[in-house]
Parts: sequence; structure tokens; C-alpha cells
Amino acid sequence: MRYHRWFSPWVLVVPALAWLLVFNLWPSINTVILSFTNAKPIGGGTFVGLKNFEALLHDEQLRYALLNSVIYMIVCLPFLTIVPLGLAVLVEKKLPGITFFRTAFYTPVVASAVVVALIWQWILDDRGLVNGMAEKLGVISGPLPFLSDQWLLLFSAISLTIWKGLGYYMIIYLAALGNVGRELHEAAAVDGASAFRRFTNITIPGVRGTMILIAILISVSALRVFSELFILSGGNGGPGGRDSSVVMLIQQYSQGFEGNLGYASALSIVLFFVTVVPMLALARLNKKAADA
Amino acid sequence: MRSRRSIPVAALAVAALTLAGCGLGSGEDTSAGSQPTVDANAKVTGEVSFQTWALKPKFTSYVEGVIKAFETKYPGTKVTWLDQPGDGYDKKVLSQASAGQLPDVTNLPPEFALPLAKQSLLLDVAAADPAVTTDYVEGGLTAYQYQGLTGTFGYPWYLNTDIDYWNSTKFAAVGLDAKNPPKTFDELLAAAKIMHDKSGGKEYLMSRLPGIGDFTNAGVKIVSDDGKKFTFNTPEAVALLDKYRAAYQAGYLPRDILTQEYLGNSKLFTQGKVAWTTGGGNAIVDFQKDNPSLKGKVVPSPALDTPPLYVQGLSVSSKSKNQAAAIALARFVTNAENQAAFAKIVNIFPSTKASANDPYFSKSDGTPESDAKVLAFESLAKAKSLQPAVISGATNDFINQQISLAIAGKVSSQQALDAAVAKADQLLAQ
Amino acid sequence: MTVVTEPARPVAVPDETGAANGRRRRRKGGTFGFNTVSPREKVVRYVLLVFVLLITIGPFLWQLSTSLKGSGEDIYTRIPRLLPAQPTLSHYAAVADTIPVWDYMRNSLQVAVLVVGGNIVGSSLAGFALSRLQFKGRKLVLGLFLATLVLPGEVTIISQYVTVREFGLANTLFGVALPGMIGALNVLLMYNAFRSLPVEVDQAAIVDGANVWQRFVYIGLPSVRGTISVVAIFAFIGAWDDFLWPLIVLTDPDKYTLTVGLQYLSGTFSNNPRLIAAGTMIAFIPIVIVFATLQRFFFKGVEEGAVKG
Repeated sequence: MRYHRWFSPWVLVVPALAWLLVFNLWPSINTVILSFTNAKPIGGGTFVGLKNFEALLHDEQLRYALLNSVIYMIVCLPFLTIVPLGLAVLVEKKLPGITFFRTAFYTPVVASAVVVALIWQWILDDRGLVNGMAEKLGVISGPLPFLSDQWLLLFSAISLTIWKGLGYYMIIYLAALGNVGRELHEAAAVDGASAFRRFTNITIPGVRGTMILIAILISVSALRVFSELFILSGGNGGPGGRDSSVVMLIQQYSQGFEGNLGYASALSIVLFFVTVVPMLALARLNKKAADA
Repeated sequence: MRSRRSIPVAALAVAALTLAGCGLGSGEDTSAGSQPTVDANAKVTGEVSFQTWALKPKFTSYVEGVIKAFETKYPGTKVTWLDQPGDGYDKKVLSQASAGQLPDVTNLPPEFALPLAKQSLLLDVAAADPAVTTDYVEGGLTAYQYQGLTGTFGYPWYLNTDIDYWNSTKFAAVGLDAKNPPKTFDELLAAAKIMHDKSGGKEYLMSRLPGIGDFTNAGVKIVSDDGKKFTFNTPEAVALLDKYRAAYQAGYLPRDILTQEYLGNSKLFTQGKVAWTTGGGNAIVDFQKDNPSLKGKVVPSPALDTPPLYVQGLSVSSKSKNQAAAIALARFVTNAENQAAFAKIVNIFPSTKASANDPYFSKSDGTPESDAKVLAFESLAKAKSLQPAVISGATNDFINQQISLAIAGKVSSQQALDAAVAKADQLLAQ
Repeated sequence: MTVVTEPARPVAVPDETGAANGRRRRRKGGTFGFNTVSPREKVVRYVLLVFVLLITIGPFLWQLSTSLKGSGEDIYTRIPRLLPAQPTLSHYAAVADTIPVWDYMRNSLQVAVLVVGGNIVGSSLAGFALSRLQFKGRKLVLGLFLATLVLPGEVTIISQYVTVREFGLANTLFGVALPGMIGALNVLLMYNAFRSLPVEVDQAAIVDGANVWQRFVYIGLPSVRGTISVVAIFAFIGAWDDFLWPLIVLTDPDKYTLTVGLQYLSGTFSNNPRLIAAGTMIAFIPIVIVFATLQRFFFKGVEEGAVKG
């Protein structure tokens, strides 16, 4: 038997669903249609069949971009699922001044891109903080090209993403931690369990649902990375565009009055299918863990 | 001049049109711009909208003064002034154009006006007002005339160019004289070598990758005459790129410039990390405002080879309901008197022939700021638009990517230029 | 058929009070033992906190210091100099003189209130229904929300503008707020939060005869206050910081939001980075206030949200 009338859930869901359809789904359908055209931002276009998708196959830059995005995801995923949780545990306890710390940890999320670029260039350039310190310590003989080497630039951007993500995922965890029964912690503490064991045996299982959601968010946003690579590569994807991401390519093709919206839309669709894979995998993992 | 490239904060894209918004297959005739439907001598009255780009609040009183004078001159007119923020202007204009809501008179740089003219959204102002072709300097006019389109799609407004700026302290430190700076590219390379060798590799002179403008300057033809093919993969271009490449490999340029943004060189100059940059006649004011310690250390000189010409103009919407007043307003704002007044509050230059003899622009009061203004004004006479308007943002990005790949030493200069031309042709054909 | 069939939920904690709901005990027991920290742990915690602080605070400090630097002082030095040599508040006054900060702030606030309100209401309703009510099509709807996270949103901004214009909302603050008023991510966050409430609570409420609305208001909402405040923070910051969308929707400068209006500080021909930094700091203050206020609620849900059914 049911404990609610059939329409009750729908009444609750309909507003959100309506927004989803009008502001997300409909424009996306539009993107699908555009991908079969040679449309420009003004003046429309004509249907060109699969031409854009054929061109994708020969796009060398897309291969670099996809590789970069996947590396991005693989590195970000473990870091950003675990470290912000640790951070949340750290700021969870009420200590004098804790509000200040919580707020300060969140500031990178809202910092302006221009300032972030400035600071990170100071840290990473040939005569920057990191190279300067490493040279003083004698770890390296010459400065490392953090901002001009294809791979080092990619990893610099990844560290920037992780740095920005700490505060963001921290507060999602913080709210979720509120739901973990503290009795368990207390009981375990009385039983003499170490802080680390309490973390792995109580905290992590307690926020498992949130963790999966966060993992989904991280992989989606890592695959769709834009601003960090854009900032550090001077807006140009680095030498040969080898440090581009898929979203940077989309931006590049669609920019301005003469943008190629057809090709940009085709790229969007590729990106959609690429992002669906880890999302489905994680959602499945969630279901399995839940059923177990 | 402000940077054309701003850093988007989020991954928001430039624009797609919905099918509802514009309709596919609407590319009817793109052969010519719209002809005006009214005689320019028709009575000027009624309401007209006027859009500028980032002039508020610094020039509010100037623009309001001009508008007031216009309304007094033509009783019965009412001007609505809109000033758009600096960032995102292309997207704003794009959304206005796609909604069919371009203001009657809009400030558009030539590369914004081209695609709008192609879609017949702008008036051929020369057809409505033949005086356009006689009153304004040629460089300003040609900027609004395009291959494959008949007409002039904007009143030239203010002009600017780039001159060189040198850091005299850094010059002195390595025994060079900033009062007698390099005049050609080869002298520049030689000075860069001295700067590098004498400072033990600690100081840099150059910090800019070559671009299309440098190829034009080296006598390379960028686009074929019919405007359908790119042609900049010539031996001259390869030779120029090779010189940069060698200088970069020898450590004469900071290594990180491979990933510097467009205005990176002036930023490095302000930070005191390099001893040379290019900039408009007004740039010196900015260097000293950002870093007052640079005061007295910045020496301007004319640009190497041919200086670039930057043009701003006022275009009239073909959908304007009040074409007579719109044309009259665009002409009024860009007339010699109003432009000269504008150029006296900021270091820009009028596009009207009548202003060429104004002693204000050709006499310096002896300060470096004033010297820079005079130098820039003198440079204008030989300045040329170095980058054709057909080079879109995406094309420009690909060309720069290939250039930096060659400079990084990953491919040969010839390979890089061939790849850039192939990609640019492909984008042009789309 | 049971009311709550979502299998993924934490194990209810049977404790000595016998309550199915692990939250109940805290009402009596207070925070015994949990917030008492040994001095050694305190030191370790502060060391870690300060370490993370050093990593994260850089951009904020640079911005602050730039806004306080005098006009006679270099900004772009080789090594960032954080302490202004000629500190001044004059740039803040100059910002207020240059642009109508208060008007812009009021506009931003209107948009933010709409967006925050819409998200709290819309996503908690949907999140509750999806996690705690069984109905046909539930999985499909949930899948749709999840799919929205990966939908290609890169080339859609103009088509959104066309939609908003067709609603007759171009050049209105409501039009600026509209598309962001319910976000899929927020729905998922709320869904996730409601899900962690043990099923037994609902069952008890149903036995007591509570209908869907009562269960939502009296049981659901109080226990997810933490997540609601996260949703509020995200929605607020998203609305407050957005630049491109309000720029496209609004034509009338009187209606500009703060981020768009602050652009007037950077002119065509020259910028003063000190002024821009001061403007950015002003825009930053409300974010700090909202964050600092709302983060207190992260834990309230646990401390007060006991079963009232």
C-alpha cells in the first residue's frame, strides 16, 4: 500500500523538472541540432549531415584535449574526494576562530581569475617561488618549466584545480558530516580506536553517498576543465595547443561573430558521451555498495 | 587600447543561436550591405540610440556634452546613450544582433563590423553620406571596407597605434643607451643578446612572440588577393620565425612567454622583468600609475618598421527606424571638432583629415607622456592595419599555437607555418 | 509496498536508548565528550589549520593589499609585497564616488534572493520526493537530473537569452535570476541529504498519521538544514558572481548587478588596479557575510533536528 496519493510526489518534483526541461534540456537539444549544421552566431546555417563529426576524427587537437581531460580526471579524483573530507573533519570541531578558518579556506573558490593567474604565475614561473626555493635547497640545478612544458603545465593546472576545489568540496562534506552519528565516534573513542581508524571506519562509511556524489562532480568538472588551463596557458592552450581541454576547443571554435557553432556543438556532444562514462560507473558503484 | 582578450571566469561559451532565434538557412544575400532607405538630407528629428564601449564614467561628461550639442543643433531629437562594459562586449553585441536589437548607432571595431555587414545588419554610410570618403583619413575608411562587400560600414572614429617603450635603467646597466634604442628588428635582436650576455642571463629585452603583424612587417603577404586563401608560409616568414626561435633557444627571451597572454609583454615591462614593450600613446601613463617607481625610466621611441593602426568607428544599424537621425549622429560625434576635443582628454587621435594640422598633436611639452603622444601621432601617418579583418579569433589562436610550437623547438618553422595556413584555410572555408 | 524503498541509507544506529534514530540521544546527552579537545590535539589542529590557511589565502590577501596601496606605490613587483607602504582607504571612497555601489548591490541582492529562494524551495521539494517517496518514473526523473550535470552547456547562452526574451523578461532582474532558480546539482544535493535520514523515522510518522507535507516540513526539513545552507551558499555565490549572463540580459544600466557595474571601474584607455581591487573587495564582503552566517547551520540540523512526529 501507498502512504501518499499518486500525484503528491509529482507536485513536489514538477517545479524542478520544469526548470530542467526549459533551461537545460531544451538548449541541449538545440546543441544536438546545431551539430549537424554549419551555423554561425549570426546568420544561421545549413544542414551539413555528419560533416562535423567526420572532421572530429581527423582533429589532432581533440586527441590531445581528450588525453589531457582524462589525465585531469584520474589525478583529481582521488585527491579531491579525500583531501576535502580531511579538511572538513579538521574544521568541523568548534575551536576558537574556526569560522574564520572555514571562510578563509573557501575564498579560493570565489577568487577572481585574474588574481589567481597572477599569484600562480608568481609561484610557478622560471624565477617564481617554487623554482627559487628548490634551487636554494639544491634540489634542482635549473628552473623547471612549469609554465611552458606541455606536461608540467598540465600538472600545474591540475594543482590549481585541486587548490580551488578544496574549499568547495569541503563545505559539501561539512554538511554531510553533520549527518554522521556522533555516538559512533564517541563509542569508538571510548573503545580506544585511533583517530585514523575512526576516520576510515566511521567517517568515510557515514558520508559514502556524499562521497559518490562528489566523485561524480569531480569527474564531470575535471573532464570539463576550462579556466585553470586557460589561465595558465595564456588563453591559448600552450605550444601547438597541446594543453587544451575539450571545453577550451569548444570555446575557441565558437568565439566571436564568426564562430563555428556547428563544429563546437559536435565537440560538445563528444564531451557529453565522454563524461557520461565515469558518471555511470560511479552511479553503479554507488548502487552496488548500497545493495551490499 | 584595451585588450581584446579577457579571461572568462567560468566556462561560459560564446553563443549559440537557437533555431527559434534566427532560423537555419537564413543566409540569403550576403553580397552587399544594406543601402540606406532615406536620404541623408531628410529632416533629422526623433529618438535615436547610441552605444559606446567602456567610456563611462571617465568620459561621461564629454559624451553627454556631445549629445547635448547634437540635440541643440537638431531640435526635436532625443539621444539615448548606452555605454557597455569593457568585458564581454562582443557577446553583448552578438546577443543584440541576434535579437534584432542593435542600437541605431553603435561603436564597433572593424572586425566586429565585418560579420554584421555580411549579414546586412549595417548601413553603407558612404552611400548615404558621400562626404565620408572625403572627410576622413584613408586608413580609417579602409578599415570599414571589406573584400567582397561594397560599401563603407562605419564612420571612422578615433585612431591609435603602438610605439616602443624602453626601460632606461636596464639599458644603462648593460651599457646600452635608451635614448638611442634599436630601430630595426635585427638591431633589437643584437640588443637582446647584449642584455642577456652582460647581465649573465638575468635580464631580458624581448618578451613577445611574433604574430601576423610581424609577418606583414617583414613583407609577407598574409591573404591572397581574392581573400580566399592564406599565404603567410613564405620563406620570409620562415626566416623571421627562425630568428625568434634562435633567440629563444639562446635564452634571450623569458622561457615562460610561450604561454603568456596577449598583453603579457606590457605586464612584464611594468613588473620590471623586461626592458622593452610596445603600447599605445597612452600606455606610458598606465605603466607609471601601476608602478610609480618606473617614473622617469620609461623612454618612448617610434615603432620598429611599420606601426600598426587601430581604428574604432561608429556604425549605423540597417534596421534603424530613424536612419536620418542615426546617420546625422554618427557624423556629428565623429566630426573634426568633437574628435579633437576627445583626443585632448586622452591619448587617442582623430580620424578626420581636418585634425591633422592641429598643433596640439605635433608639439610636445617635453614630458615623456607628451613625447609619447607626439611620437604616436607622427607614427599614425605611416601606420597600417597589420592584421586583416578576415582573421577570426579561432584562426588567430591556431596561428599563435603553431608559432609557439615552432619557437619551443618542437617542429620546424616551415612545418608550423604550413600547419597554420592549412588550419586557417580550413576555418576560412567553413 | 513500503513508503521508503531507497536502499542506500546509513544503517540506523541502535543505541542504548533504543531509539531507531541516532539523533535522539544527543538531545539529552548534549555534546558530551565530543567537543572536548586535549591540548596536544589542539596544537596539532591549529598547526594544520594555519598550514592550509597559508595555502589558500594568497589571492585574497593580494587583493586586499592592492586595494590599500597608495597611488605612489608599485603594484606589480617582482616579488609580491603584501604590506602596503602607504596604506590608504581612498580607493574605497573612490569606488563609491565612481559608481552607484549601493544601487548595484541592491540589484544583485534582488537576483540573489530570488535564486537562493528558488533553489531552496525547488530543490528541497524535488529532493524530498525523489528520496523519500516511491512513485513511477522516480528513477527516470532522478536520471534526468543526473544527466543534466553532463549535458553540453557550452553553447547555450544565447538560446537561453532567446527563451528569457520570449517570456518578456529581457532587461529585468527577474529574467537574470530565472534560469538559475533551480539547479540540478542542488536537487541532487538535497536528494542525497534526505536519503541519509533513516527510514524508521518516516515509518513512525506514518503510523502517527502524518501526510506527505507534514513529513516534509516536520521531519525532512529540520534534519537537512546543513545541506540547505550549502545550497543557499552555492546559489548565492553563483548569482552574485555571475557576469556574462546579467550583461546579456540587462540593457538598462540602472538595473546592472554589482559584477557588471564594477566593470565601469576599468575603462577603455586605462585602469587603476588599486581601484578595481577595492571594488572586488566590496563585492566580496556580502559573500563573506553569507558564508560566515550560514556555515553555523551546518551542524544545527544534527543538534536540533530530532523527531517531532
